[in-house]
Amino acid sequence: MATRSRPVSSEFLFFKAMALFVFWVLLSASFEWIHLGLGLFFSFIVAWLNSGHSPFVPKFRLWLRILLYLPWLFYKIIQSSLHLSKLILHPALPIVPHMISVESKLRHHAAVVLLGNSITLTPGTITVEVDGSNLIVHAMDKNDEAAIKQMESKIAHIFKDEEPDL
Amino acid sequence: MDILSIIFIVAGLFFLIVAAIGVIRLPDMYSRSHAVSLTDSLGAFLMLVGIALHEGLSINMLKILVVLVLLYILNPVIAHATVRAALRSGLKPLEKENS
Repeated sequence: MATRSRPVSSEFLFFKAMALFVFWVLLSASFEWIHLGLGLFFSFIVAWLNSGHSPFVPKFRLWLRILLYLPWLFYKIIQSSLHLSKLILHPALPIVPHMISVESKLRHHAAVVLLGNSITLTPGTITVEVDGSNLIVHAMDKNDEAAIKQMESKIAHIFKDEEPDL
Repeated sequence: MDILSIIFIVAGLFFLIVAAIGVIRLPDMYSRSHAVSLTDSLGAFLMLVGIALHEGLSINMLKILVVLVLLYILNPVIAHATVRAALRSGLKPLEKENS
């Protein structure tokens, strides 16, 4: 994916520098003026150096929807972790390893990334290969495919109002 | 609070042990990587939450939470990179047909 060049507003530069500065304060954990000043200075330097080629533009509606999606994903992760632990500890080892080819209808790069990451984060399924919007998934259990379909429809709902770019 | 953090850490250890057993018991590289991802998703998560509770409200707790967020972002990247490298180097996944 080529990085696109686009003019970045000074407002966005400021947001980026503030995010970096919060990270600096978290890591340094010191509130002396010399440390805070140095952190602020380097936050702006790094934000300015990176401003030329960032295709990343904040869209608050999209991020809100992704934030609302995360608790559901976390619930799924816990559920399938327990299921996989049960499979591993079962004396007969009742696993069915197989490859699933998922042809998703997602039309955004970010949506495919989110789907692939969600699949890999859920124990029992791993994204093996990505090509466009099609994914090859390695799964451990018979009914993993239904879970992936459900995940895909949730993500399609998140991205339904955005411009397609894939 | 101490008891709560002990419960979390012991639960995390349980999942780490299950993952280790899984790495030994499961048949091929692809299914073993599932067991490894179990370590990160619940094992490390529960341990870190236990340690954060033990620390109490302090800057160390915030740092542990940052580690947690980074772990959840980086874990799928590493798992995907490993498995894709295995597939591209020609390792055939084991297909077992028993239902």
